[in-house]
Amino acid sequence: MNTTGSGFSTGSTIERPRLPDPQSSPPRPSVAAIVASLHGRAGKTLLARILADYFILSGRRPALFDTDATERMLHSAFPDDAIVVDLTEVRDQMILFDTLVARSAAARVVDVSHHAARKFFKVMQESQFAAEARARQVEPVIFHIMDRNSDSYEAARLLRERFEDCALVLVENAYLGKVKDQTRRSTGYRAFEDHELRMTLPCLDPEVLDVVEDIHLSLSDLMREPLSRGASGGPLSFDERAYLRSWLGRIFRDIHRVTRAIEARALSPAPADPPS
Amino acid sequence: MKPVVLMVGADKGGVGKTTVTRTVLDYLAAKNALVRAFDAEHPRGTLQRFHPDITEVVDITTAADQMKMIDTLSTSEIKVSVIDIRAGLLDETLKTLTEVGFFDLVDAGEFNFGLMHVVGSSVASLDEIAEVLPYVKGKHYFIVKNFINDTSFFEWNPTIYRNYFRGTADAVEVTIPKLNEMAYEQVELSGVPFSDFVANRQSNGQQVNNSLVLRGYVRTWLRQISDEYDRVGLLDRLYDRTAAAA
Repeated sequence: MNTTGSGFSTGSTIERPRLPDPQSSPPRPSVAAIVASLHGRAGKTLLARILADYFILSGRRPALFDTDATERMLHSAFPDDAIVVDLTEVRDQMILFDTLVARSAAARVVDVSHHAARKFFKVMQESQFAAEARARQVEPVIFHIMDRNSDSYEAARLLRERFEDCALVLVENAYLGKVKDQTRRSTGYRAFEDHELRMTLPCLDPEVLDVVEDIHLSLSDLMREPLSRGASGGPLSFDERAYLRSWLGRIFRDIHRVTRAIEARALSPAPADPPS
Repeated sequence: MKPVVLMVGADKGGVGKTTVTRTVLDYLAAKNALVRAFDAEHPRGTLQRFHPDITEVVDITTAADQMKMIDTLSTSEIKVSVIDIRAGLLDETLKTLTEVGFFDLVDAGEFNFGLMHVVGSSVASLDEIAEVLPYVKGKHYFIVKNFINDTSFFEWNPTIYRNYFRGTADAVEVTIPKLNEMAYEQVELSGVPFSDFVANRQSNGQQVNNSLVLRGYVRTWLRQISDEYDRVGLLDRLYDRTAAAA
Protein backbone atom coordinates (compact mmCIF):
# COMPACT_ATOMS: atom_id res chain seq x y z
CA MET A 1 0.00 0.00 0.00
CA ASN A 2 1.16 3.48 -0.79
CA THR A 3 1.05 5.78 2.19
CA THR A 4 2.59 8.98 0.83
CA GLY A 5 1.27 12.28 2.06
CA SER A 6 -1.64 13.09 4.25
CA GLY A 7 -4.18 12.33 1.63
CA PHE A 8 -5.07 16.03 1.49
CA SER A 9 -1.93 17.32 -0.18
CA THR A 10 -2.70 18.66 -3.61
CA GLY A 11 0.72 17.74 -4.93
CA SER A 12 0.21 14.04 -4.40
CA THR A 13 0.96 11.94 -7.43
CA ILE A 14 -1.38 9.22 -6.25
CA GLU A 15 -4.89 9.88 -7.32
CA ARG A 16 -7.58 8.24 -5.38
CA PRO A 17 -10.28 6.69 -7.53
CA ARG A 18 -13.16 9.12 -7.69
CA LEU A 19 -16.42 7.73 -6.48
CA PRO A 20 -19.24 8.18 -8.94
CA ASP A 21 -21.84 10.69 -7.89
CA PRO A 22 -25.00 8.67 -7.47
CA GLN A 23 -27.10 11.67 -8.52
CA SER A 24 -25.43 12.35 -11.82
CA SER A 25 -24.18 9.01 -13.04
CA PRO A 26 -26.59 6.93 -15.08
CA PRO A 27 -27.57 3.61 -13.54
CA ARG A 28 -25.00 0.92 -14.20
CA PRO A 29 -26.26 -1.90 -16.33
CA SER A 30 -26.32 -5.26 -14.66
CA VAL A 31 -24.24 -8.02 -16.17
CA ALA A 32 -25.58 -11.35 -17.36
CA ALA A 33 -22.49 -13.54 -17.62
CA ILE A 34 -22.82 -16.59 -19.85
CA VAL A 35 -19.99 -19.06 -19.32
CA ALA A 36 -19.46 -21.48 -22.18
CA SER A 37 -16.86 -23.59 -23.92
CA LEU A 38 -16.79 -25.97 -26.82
CA HIS A 39 -15.72 -29.01 -24.86
CA GLY A 40 -16.29 -30.25 -21.35
CA ARG A 41 -13.71 -30.03 -18.57
CA ALA A 42 -12.49 -26.63 -19.74
CA GLY A 43 -13.09 -24.91 -16.41
CA LYS A 44 -16.57 -23.52 -16.97
CA THR A 45 -17.95 -24.26 -13.55
CA LEU A 46 -14.77 -22.95 -11.94
CA LEU A 47 -15.07 -19.68 -13.86
CA ALA A 48 -18.80 -19.49 -13.08
CA ARG A 49 -17.94 -19.86 -9.38
CA ILE A 50 -15.23 -17.22 -9.59
CA LEU A 51 -17.65 -14.84 -11.34
CA ALA A 52 -20.27 -15.52 -8.69
CA ASP A 53 -17.75 -14.81 -5.93
CA TYR A 54 -16.59 -11.69 -7.74
CA PHE A 55 -20.15 -10.35 -7.73
CA ILE A 56 -20.65 -11.38 -4.10
CA LEU A 57 -17.48 -9.52 -3.09
CA SER A 58 -18.65 -6.49 -5.09
CA GLY A 59 -21.80 -6.46 -2.99
CA ARG A 60 -24.04 -7.62 -5.79
CA ARG A 61 -25.46 -10.98 -4.90
CA PRO A 62 -25.92 -12.71 -8.22
CA ALA A 63 -28.61 -15.01 -9.53
CA LEU A 64 -26.96 -18.25 -10.63
CA PHE A 65 -28.09 -20.83 -13.15
CA ASP A 66 -26.77 -24.33 -13.56
CA THR A 67 -27.74 -25.87 -16.91
CA ASP A 68 -26.35 -29.27 -16.06
CA ALA A 69 -29.39 -30.98 -14.58
CA THR A 70 -27.44 -34.18 -13.92
CA GLU A 71 -24.15 -33.08 -12.35
CA ARG A 72 -25.42 -29.85 -10.74
CA MET A 73 -21.92 -28.71 -9.82
CA LEU A 74 -22.65 -24.99 -9.60
CA HIS A 75 -25.72 -25.74 -7.55
CA SER A 76 -23.61 -27.79 -5.12
CA ALA A 77 -21.29 -24.82 -4.71
CA PHE A 78 -24.13 -22.34 -4.18
CA PRO A 79 -27.11 -24.36 -2.98
CA ASP A 80 -29.05 -21.26 -1.92
CA ASP A 81 -28.43 -19.13 -4.98
CA ALA A 82 -28.14 -21.45 -7.96
CA ILE A 83 -31.18 -22.65 -9.86
CA VAL A 84 -30.85 -25.85 -11.84
CA VAL A 85 -32.53 -25.69 -15.25
CA ASP A 86 -33.10 -28.47 -17.75
CA LEU A 87 -33.10 -26.72 -21.10
CA THR A 88 -34.93 -29.55 -22.82
CA GLU A 89 -37.99 -28.27 -20.93
CA VAL A 90 -39.70 -25.12 -22.21
CA ARG A 91 -40.72 -24.21 -18.68
CA ASP A 92 -37.07 -24.21 -17.61
CA GLN A 93 -36.08 -22.22 -20.69
CA MET A 94 -38.59 -19.62 -19.52
CA ILE A 95 -37.28 -19.64 -15.96
CA LEU A 96 -33.75 -19.08 -17.25
CA PHE A 97 -34.19 -16.54 -20.03
CA ASP A 98 -37.07 -14.60 -18.54
CA THR A 99 -35.03 -14.12 -15.37
CA LEU A 100 -31.88 -13.27 -17.30
CA VAL A 101 -33.73 -10.56 -19.16
CA ALA A 102 -35.55 -9.10 -16.14
CA ARG A 103 -34.94 -5.46 -15.30
CA SER A 104 -32.99 -5.73 -12.06
CA ALA A 105 -29.72 -4.56 -10.60
CA ALA A 106 -28.65 -8.08 -9.70
CA ALA A 107 -25.87 -9.73 -11.66
CA ARG A 108 -26.57 -13.10 -13.25
CA VAL A 109 -24.25 -15.98 -14.05
CA VAL A 110 -25.11 -18.97 -16.25
CA ASP A 111 -22.91 -22.03 -16.37
CA VAL A 112 -23.71 -23.42 -19.82
CA SER A 113 -22.86 -27.09 -19.79
CA HIS A 114 -21.42 -28.18 -23.13
CA HIS A 115 -24.30 -30.68 -23.39
CA ALA A 116 -26.83 -27.88 -23.12
CA ALA A 117 -24.92 -25.35 -25.22
CA ARG A 118 -26.60 -26.00 -28.55
CA LYS A 119 -30.07 -25.62 -27.04
CA PHE A 120 -29.03 -22.63 -24.95
CA PHE A 121 -27.71 -20.64 -27.90
CA LYS A 122 -30.66 -21.65 -30.09
CA VAL A 123 -33.15 -20.28 -27.58
CA MET A 124 -30.90 -17.27 -27.00
CA GLN A 125 -30.97 -16.50 -30.71
CA GLU A 126 -34.63 -17.20 -31.36
CA SER A 127 -35.77 -15.14 -28.40
CA GLN A 128 -33.54 -12.25 -29.53
CA PHE A 129 -32.31 -12.28 -25.97
CA ALA A 130 -29.36 -9.93 -26.33
CA ALA A 131 -31.35 -7.07 -27.85
CA GLU A 132 -34.16 -7.47 -25.31
CA ALA A 133 -31.73 -7.63 -22.41
CA ARG A 134 -29.93 -4.48 -23.47
CA ALA A 135 -33.24 -2.67 -23.81
CA ARG A 136 -33.73 -3.41 -20.11
CA GLN A 137 -30.24 -2.28 -19.02
CA VAL A 138 -28.94 -5.82 -18.77
CA GLU A 139 -25.60 -6.37 -20.52
CA PRO A 140 -25.19 -9.94 -21.73
CA VAL A 141 -21.60 -11.17 -21.87
CA ILE A 142 -20.41 -14.51 -23.19
CA PHE A 143 -17.28 -15.74 -21.42
CA HIS A 144 -15.92 -18.33 -23.82
CA ILE A 145 -13.16 -20.56 -22.44
CA MET A 146 -10.59 -21.54 -25.03
CA ASP A 147 -8.35 -24.55 -25.17
CA ARG A 148 -5.22 -25.37 -27.19
CA ASN A 149 -7.12 -26.50 -30.25
CA SER A 150 -8.30 -24.44 -33.16
CA ASP A 151 -11.87 -25.69 -32.97
CA SER A 152 -12.44 -23.79 -29.73
CA TYR A 153 -11.43 -20.55 -31.46
CA GLU A 154 -13.55 -21.41 -34.45
CA ALA A 155 -16.53 -22.01 -32.14
CA ALA A 156 -15.94 -18.64 -30.46
CA ARG A 157 -15.69 -16.94 -33.84
CA LEU A 158 -19.01 -18.40 -34.91
CA LEU A 159 -20.62 -17.30 -31.65
CA ARG A 160 -19.29 -13.77 -32.09
CA GLU A 161 -20.75 -13.68 -35.59
CA ARG A 162 -24.05 -15.13 -34.49
CA PHE A 163 -24.46 -12.77 -31.54
CA GLU A 164 -23.08 -9.53 -32.87
CA ASP A 165 -24.97 -7.51 -30.26
CA CYS A 166 -23.54 -9.47 -27.33
CA ALA A 167 -20.11 -8.88 -25.81
CA LEU A 168 -17.76 -11.86 -26.00
CA VAL A 169 -14.84 -12.31 -23.64
CA LEU A 170 -12.14 -14.70 -24.73
CA VAL A 171 -10.95 -16.63 -21.67
CA GLU A 172 -7.60 -18.33 -21.99
CA ASN A 173 -7.20 -21.07 -19.45
CA ALA A 174 -3.47 -21.52 -18.89
CA TYR A 175 -4.13 -24.79 -17.12
CA LEU A 176 -5.26 -26.36 -20.42
CA GLY A 177 -1.79 -25.83 -21.88
CA LYS A 178 -0.12 -23.66 -24.43
CA VAL A 179 -1.99 -22.91 -27.63
CA LYS A 180 -0.73 -25.18 -30.42
CA ASP A 181 1.25 -23.64 -33.28
CA GLN A 182 -1.26 -25.13 -35.65
CA THR A 183 -4.02 -23.33 -33.74
CA ARG A 184 -2.17 -20.02 -34.01
CA ARG A 185 -2.23 -20.34 -37.77
CA SER A 186 -5.96 -21.14 -37.92
CA THR A 187 -8.50 -18.61 -39.18
CA GLY A 188 -10.47 -18.94 -35.94
CA TYR A 189 -7.49 -17.91 -33.83
CA ARG A 190 -6.49 -15.10 -36.14
CA ALA A 191 -10.03 -13.72 -36.16
CA PHE A 192 -9.39 -12.70 -32.55
CA GLU A 193 -6.07 -10.92 -33.11
CA ASP A 194 -7.62 -7.50 -32.52
CA HIS A 195 -10.14 -8.67 -29.97
CA GLU A 196 -9.96 -6.49 -26.88
CA LEU A 197 -12.15 -8.33 -24.41
CA ARG A 198 -9.97 -11.12 -23.13
CA MET A 199 -8.78 -12.49 -19.82
CA THR A 200 -6.70 -15.34 -18.48
CA LEU A 201 -7.11 -18.01 -15.89
CA PRO A 202 -3.49 -18.31 -14.74
CA CYS A 203 -1.92 -21.63 -13.90
CA LEU A 204 -2.29 -22.92 -10.40
CA ASP A 205 -0.24 -25.46 -8.50
CA PRO A 206 -2.00 -28.80 -9.12
CA GLU A 207 -2.30 -29.57 -5.42
CA VAL A 208 -3.92 -26.25 -4.68
CA LEU A 209 -6.11 -26.64 -7.75
CA ASP A 210 -7.52 -29.83 -6.26
CA VAL A 211 -8.57 -27.85 -3.22
CA VAL A 212 -10.05 -25.08 -5.36
CA GLU A 213 -12.00 -27.59 -7.38
CA ASP A 214 -13.58 -28.82 -4.18
CA ILE A 215 -16.91 -27.12 -4.71
CA HIS A 216 -17.47 -26.68 -0.98
CA LEU A 217 -14.66 -24.17 -0.73
CA SER A 218 -16.12 -20.69 -0.91
CA LEU A 219 -13.73 -18.46 -2.82
CA SER A 220 -15.30 -15.27 -1.50
CA ASP A 221 -14.90 -16.55 2.06
CA LEU A 222 -11.28 -17.33 1.28
CA MET A 223 -10.77 -13.72 0.22
CA ARG A 224 -12.49 -12.31 3.29
CA GLU A 225 -11.22 -14.56 6.04
CA PRO A 226 -7.96 -14.04 7.93
CA LEU A 227 -5.03 -15.77 6.28
CA SER A 228 -4.37 -17.84 9.38
CA ARG A 229 -7.54 -19.61 10.21
CA GLY A 230 -6.04 -22.04 12.68
CA ALA A 231 -7.72 -25.38 13.16
CA SER A 232 -10.82 -24.55 11.12
CA GLY A 233 -8.70 -23.43 8.22
CA GLY A 234 -9.24 -26.60 6.30
CA PRO A 235 -6.57 -28.24 4.21
CA LEU A 236 -4.81 -25.02 3.24
CA SER A 237 -1.73 -23.63 4.89
CA PHE A 238 -1.08 -19.92 5.41
CA ASP A 239 1.16 -19.83 2.35
CA GLU A 240 -1.30 -21.68 0.20
CA ARG A 241 -4.06 -19.29 1.21
CA ALA A 242 -1.89 -16.30 0.34
CA TYR A 243 -0.93 -17.91 -2.94
CA LEU A 244 -4.52 -18.71 -3.80
CA ARG A 245 -5.63 -15.21 -2.93
CA SER A 246 -3.13 -13.64 -5.26
CA TRP A 247 -4.23 -16.06 -7.99
CA LEU A 248 -7.88 -15.11 -7.42
CA GLY A 249 -6.95 -11.45 -7.13
CA ARG A 250 -5.50 -11.54 -10.63
CA ILE A 251 -8.62 -13.12 -12.03
CA PHE A 252 -10.92 -10.71 -10.16
CA ARG A 253 -8.93 -7.80 -11.57
CA ASP A 254 -9.36 -9.23 -15.06
CA ILE A 255 -13.08 -9.71 -14.55
CA HIS A 256 -13.36 -6.19 -13.17
CA ARG A 257 -11.51 -4.78 -16.15
CA VAL A 258 -13.62 -6.53 -18.79
CA THR A 259 -16.97 -5.98 -17.09
CA ARG A 260 -16.15 -2.28 -16.61
CA ALA A 261 -15.18 -1.99 -20.26
CA ILE A 262 -18.45 -3.61 -21.28
CA GLU A 263 -20.47 -1.39 -18.93
CA ALA A 264 -18.75 1.69 -20.26
CA ARG A 265 -19.50 0.63 -23.80
CA ALA A 266 -23.14 0.08 -22.86
CA LEU A 267 -23.40 3.54 -21.30
CA SER A 268 -21.66 5.42 -24.08
CA PRO A 269 -23.92 6.78 -26.80
CA ALA A 270 -24.67 4.08 -29.30
CA PRO A 271 -22.89 4.36 -32.63
CA ALA A 272 -25.08 5.28 -35.55
CA ASP A 273 -27.17 2.35 -36.65
CA PRO A 274 -26.07 0.90 -39.95
CA PRO A 275 -28.75 1.37 -42.58
CA SER A 276 -30.98 -1.66 -42.54
CA MET B 1 -56.59 -4.72 -58.45
CA LYS B 2 -59.31 -7.32 -58.55
CA PRO B 3 -61.18 -8.05 -55.33
CA VAL B 4 -59.89 -11.22 -53.75
CA VAL B 5 -61.79 -13.77 -51.71
CA LEU B 6 -59.74 -16.25 -49.72
CA MET B 7 -61.74 -18.92 -47.96
CA VAL B 8 -60.36 -21.10 -45.19
CA GLY B 9 -62.37 -24.21 -44.56
CA ALA B 10 -62.39 -27.74 -43.25
CA ASP B 11 -64.92 -30.52 -43.14
CA LYS B 12 -63.88 -31.63 -39.73
CA GLY B 13 -63.59 -29.53 -36.63
CA GLY B 14 -60.41 -29.49 -34.59
CA VAL B 15 -57.97 -29.40 -37.48
CA GLY B 16 -56.86 -25.89 -36.54
CA LYS B 17 -58.76 -24.05 -39.23
CA THR B 18 -59.14 -20.79 -37.33
CA THR B 19 -55.49 -20.93 -36.32
CA VAL B 20 -54.55 -21.17 -39.99
CA THR B 21 -56.82 -18.20 -40.75
CA ARG B 22 -55.05 -16.23 -38.04
CA THR B 23 -51.66 -16.98 -39.58
CA VAL B 24 -52.99 -15.83 -42.95
CA LEU B 25 -54.23 -12.54 -41.46
CA ASP B 26 -50.84 -11.97 -39.80
CA TYR B 27 -49.07 -12.80 -43.05
CA LEU B 28 -51.21 -10.44 -45.14
CA ALA B 29 -50.81 -7.66 -42.57
CA ALA B 30 -47.04 -8.12 -42.66
CA LYS B 31 -47.23 -7.78 -46.46
CA ASN B 32 -49.14 -4.51 -46.00
CA ALA B 33 -52.32 -5.89 -47.54
CA LEU B 34 -55.55 -4.31 -46.35
CA VAL B 35 -57.78 -7.17 -45.28
CA ARG B 36 -61.26 -7.65 -43.93
CA ALA B 37 -62.26 -10.93 -42.36
CA PHE B 38 -65.54 -12.75 -41.95
CA ASP B 39 -65.96 -15.24 -39.19
CA ALA B 40 -68.58 -17.75 -40.22
CA GLU B 41 -68.50 -19.56 -36.90
CA HIS B 42 -71.80 -17.91 -36.14
CA PRO B 43 -72.66 -17.20 -33.37
CA ARG B 44 -69.47 -17.90 -31.41
CA GLY B 45 -66.79 -16.19 -33.44
CA THR B 46 -63.33 -17.44 -32.41
CA LEU B 47 -61.58 -15.48 -35.12
CA GLN B 48 -63.27 -12.30 -34.05
CA ARG B 49 -61.83 -12.70 -30.58
CA PHE B 50 -58.29 -12.49 -31.99
CA HIS B 51 -58.85 -9.94 -34.75
CA PRO B 52 -61.80 -7.85 -33.53
CA ASP B 53 -60.88 -4.75 -35.53
CA ILE B 54 -61.20 -6.34 -38.94
CA THR B 55 -63.53 -9.26 -38.31
CA GLU B 56 -67.29 -9.52 -38.64
CA VAL B 57 -69.23 -12.57 -37.51
CA VAL B 58 -71.62 -13.78 -40.22
CA ASP B 59 -74.14 -16.55 -40.63
CA ILE B 60 -73.21 -17.83 -44.03
CA THR B 61 -76.48 -19.75 -44.41
CA THR B 62 -78.57 -16.55 -44.53
CA ALA B 63 -78.99 -14.53 -47.66
CA ALA B 64 -78.53 -11.29 -45.77
CA ASP B 65 -75.03 -12.22 -44.65
CA GLN B 66 -74.11 -13.64 -48.04
CA MET B 67 -75.00 -10.24 -49.50
CA LYS B 68 -72.91 -8.55 -46.82
CA MET B 69 -69.88 -10.45 -48.02
CA ILE B 70 -70.38 -10.86 -51.76
CA ASP B 71 -72.24 -7.71 -52.77
CA THR B 72 -69.69 -5.47 -51.10
CA LEU B 73 -66.70 -7.01 -52.87
CA SER B 74 -66.60 -4.49 -55.72
CA THR B 75 -67.49 -1.46 -53.65
CA SER B 76 -65.31 -2.07 -50.62
CA GLU B 77 -62.10 -0.10 -50.30
CA ILE B 78 -60.52 -3.17 -48.85
CA LYS B 79 -59.78 -5.56 -51.65
CA VAL B 80 -58.93 -8.73 -49.78
CA SER B 81 -61.64 -10.65 -47.92
CA VAL B 82 -60.73 -13.66 -45.82
CA ILE B 83 -63.60 -15.92 -44.83
CA ASP B 84 -63.22 -18.45 -42.05
CA ILE B 85 -65.86 -21.07 -42.90
CA ARG B 86 -67.46 -22.94 -40.07
CA ALA B 87 -66.32 -26.55 -39.78
CA GLY B 88 -68.58 -28.88 -41.73
CA LEU B 89 -70.08 -26.10 -43.82
CA LEU B 90 -67.39 -26.03 -46.50
CA ASP B 91 -69.26 -28.16 -48.99
CA GLU B 92 -72.51 -26.31 -48.39
CA THR B 93 -70.85 -22.92 -48.71
CA LEU B 94 -69.24 -23.85 -52.01
CA LYS B 95 -72.65 -25.03 -53.24
CA THR B 96 -74.26 -21.77 -52.17
CA LEU B 97 -71.56 -19.68 -53.85
CA THR B 98 -72.23 -21.61 -57.05
CA GLU B 99 -75.97 -21.00 -56.76
CA VAL B 100 -75.62 -17.26 -56.27
CA GLY B 101 -73.41 -17.15 -59.35
CA PHE B 102 -70.25 -16.15 -57.52
CA PHE B 103 -68.06 -18.67 -59.30
CA ASP B 104 -69.38 -17.49 -62.68
CA LEU B 105 -68.07 -14.05 -61.82
CA VAL B 106 -64.73 -15.55 -60.78
CA ASP B 107 -64.55 -17.39 -64.11
CA ALA B 108 -65.45 -14.14 -65.90
CA GLY B 109 -62.46 -12.53 -64.21
CA GLU B 110 -64.35 -10.18 -61.90
CA PHE B 111 -62.94 -11.61 -58.71
CA ASN B 112 -60.06 -13.75 -57.69
CA PHE B 113 -60.79 -16.74 -55.53
CA GLY B 114 -58.66 -19.00 -53.38
CA LEU B 115 -59.49 -21.81 -51.03
CA MET B 116 -57.29 -22.99 -48.22
CA HIS B 117 -58.53 -26.43 -47.32
CA VAL B 118 -57.29 -27.54 -43.92
CA VAL B 119 -57.28 -31.33 -43.89
CA GLY B 120 -56.92 -33.92 -41.20
CA SER B 121 -54.29 -36.63 -41.17
CA SER B 122 -56.54 -39.59 -41.99
CA VAL B 123 -57.03 -41.00 -45.48
CA ALA B 124 -60.66 -39.91 -45.15
CA SER B 125 -59.51 -36.41 -45.92
CA LEU B 126 -58.74 -37.58 -49.45
CA ASP B 127 -62.48 -38.08 -49.98
CA GLU B 128 -63.00 -34.58 -48.63
CA ILE B 129 -60.57 -33.24 -51.19
CA ALA B 130 -62.35 -35.19 -53.95
CA GLU B 131 -65.62 -33.53 -53.00
CA VAL B 132 -64.16 -30.05 -53.14
CA LEU B 133 -62.21 -30.45 -56.38
CA PRO B 134 -65.07 -29.77 -58.84
CA TYR B 135 -65.66 -26.36 -57.28
CA VAL B 136 -62.11 -25.17 -57.35
CA LYS B 137 -61.20 -26.19 -60.88
CA GLY B 138 -59.16 -23.38 -62.40
CA LYS B 139 -59.04 -21.52 -59.11
CA HIS B 140 -56.38 -21.29 -56.41
CA TYR B 141 -56.63 -24.35 -54.25
CA PHE B 142 -54.33 -24.88 -51.29
CA ILE B 143 -54.35 -28.11 -49.33
CA VAL B 144 -53.15 -27.26 -45.84
CA LYS B 145 -51.53 -29.91 -43.70
CA ASN B 146 -51.57 -28.58 -40.22
CA PHE B 147 -48.99 -29.67 -37.65
CA ILE B 148 -49.63 -26.86 -35.18
CA ASN B 149 -51.04 -28.89 -32.33
CA ASP B 150 -49.45 -32.24 -32.89
CA THR B 151 -46.98 -33.99 -35.08
CA SER B 152 -49.48 -36.65 -36.09
CA PHE B 153 -48.36 -38.72 -38.98
CA PHE B 154 -50.23 -38.11 -42.19
CA GLU B 155 -51.58 -41.42 -43.44
CA TRP B 156 -51.24 -40.24 -46.99
CA ASN B 157 -48.20 -38.90 -48.76
CA PRO B 158 -47.75 -37.18 -52.13
CA THR B 159 -47.50 -40.51 -53.95
CA ILE B 160 -50.79 -41.83 -52.63
CA TYR B 161 -52.28 -38.44 -53.27
CA ARG B 162 -51.13 -38.35 -56.90
CA ASN B 163 -52.29 -41.88 -57.57
CA TYR B 164 -55.64 -41.03 -56.05
CA PHE B 165 -56.30 -38.03 -58.22
CA ARG B 166 -54.22 -38.91 -61.27
CA GLY B 167 -53.22 -35.34 -61.82
CA THR B 168 -56.69 -33.91 -62.08
CA ALA B 169 -56.03 -31.32 -59.44
CA ASP B 170 -53.53 -28.51 -59.61
CA ALA B 171 -53.61 -28.13 -55.87
CA VAL B 172 -50.81 -26.55 -53.91
CA GLU B 173 -49.76 -28.30 -50.73
CA VAL B 174 -49.02 -26.07 -47.73
CA THR B 175 -47.50 -27.28 -44.49
CA ILE B 176 -48.00 -25.44 -41.22
CA PRO B 177 -45.28 -26.41 -38.73
CA LYS B 178 -45.75 -27.28 -35.10
CA LEU B 179 -45.82 -24.57 -32.48
CA ASN B 180 -44.70 -25.30 -28.95
CA GLU B 181 -47.80 -26.09 -26.85
CA MET B 182 -46.99 -23.68 -24.08
CA ALA B 183 -46.47 -20.83 -26.52
CA TYR B 184 -49.71 -21.69 -28.30
CA GLU B 185 -51.63 -21.74 -25.02
CA GLN B 186 -50.26 -18.38 -23.95
CA VAL B 187 -51.37 -16.76 -27.20
CA GLU B 188 -54.81 -18.36 -26.74
CA LEU B 189 -55.04 -16.83 -23.28
CA SER B 190 -53.87 -13.44 -24.51
CA GLY B 191 -56.50 -13.43 -27.26
CA VAL B 192 -54.35 -11.32 -29.60
CA PRO B 193 -52.92 -11.89 -33.07
CA PHE B 194 -49.68 -13.91 -33.07
CA SER B 195 -47.73 -10.89 -34.26
CA ASP B 196 -49.05 -8.78 -31.37
CA PHE B 197 -48.02 -11.45 -28.91
CA VAL B 198 -44.50 -11.29 -30.32
CA ALA B 199 -44.54 -7.49 -30.12
CA ASN B 200 -45.73 -7.58 -26.47
CA ARG B 201 -49.02 -5.87 -27.34
CA GLN B 202 -52.28 -6.45 -25.53
CA SER B 203 -55.68 -6.35 -27.23
CA ASN B 204 -56.22 -2.79 -25.98
CA GLY B 205 -52.91 -1.79 -27.55
CA GLN B 206 -51.07 -1.54 -24.24
CA GLN B 207 -47.63 -3.02 -23.67
CA VAL B 208 -47.40 -6.27 -21.78
CA ASN B 209 -44.50 -8.43 -20.76
CA ASN B 210 -44.91 -11.82 -22.37
CA SER B 211 -42.29 -14.48 -21.81
CA LEU B 212 -39.19 -13.80 -23.88
CA VAL B 213 -38.84 -17.50 -24.63
CA LEU B 214 -42.45 -18.01 -25.73
CA ARG B 215 -42.32 -14.92 -27.90
CA GLY B 216 -39.20 -16.38 -29.47
CA TYR B 217 -41.02 -19.60 -30.30
CA VAL B 218 -43.98 -17.75 -31.83
CA ARG B 219 -41.67 -15.43 -33.81
CA THR B 220 -39.70 -18.32 -35.27
CA TRP B 221 -42.88 -20.21 -36.10
CA LEU B 222 -44.46 -17.19 -37.81
CA ARG B 223 -41.33 -16.75 -39.87
CA GLN B 224 -41.45 -20.40 -40.97
CA ILE B 225 -45.09 -19.96 -42.01
CA SER B 226 -44.32 -16.75 -43.83
CA ASP B 227 -41.53 -18.55 -45.71
CA GLU B 228 -43.97 -21.32 -46.57
CA TYR B 229 -46.62 -18.89 -47.86
CA ASP B 230 -43.90 -17.16 -49.85
CA ARG B 231 -42.76 -20.49 -51.22
CA VAL B 232 -46.20 -21.36 -52.58
CA GLY B 233 -46.64 -17.78 -53.82
CA LEU B 234 -49.84 -17.23 -51.85
CA LEU B 235 -49.93 -13.48 -52.43
CA ASP B 236 -48.84 -13.68 -56.07
CA ARG B 237 -51.54 -16.19 -56.83
CA LEU B 238 -54.26 -14.19 -55.12
CA TYR B 239 -53.09 -11.02 -56.86
CA ASP B 240 -52.76 -12.77 -60.22
CA ARG B 241 -49.05 -12.15 -60.30
CA THR B 242 -48.09 -15.78 -60.79
CA ALA B 243 -46.58 -15.20 -64.21
CA ALA B 244 -44.52 -12.23 -63.03
CA ALA B 245 -43.14 -14.21 -60.12
CA ALA B 246 -42.10 -17.14 -62.24
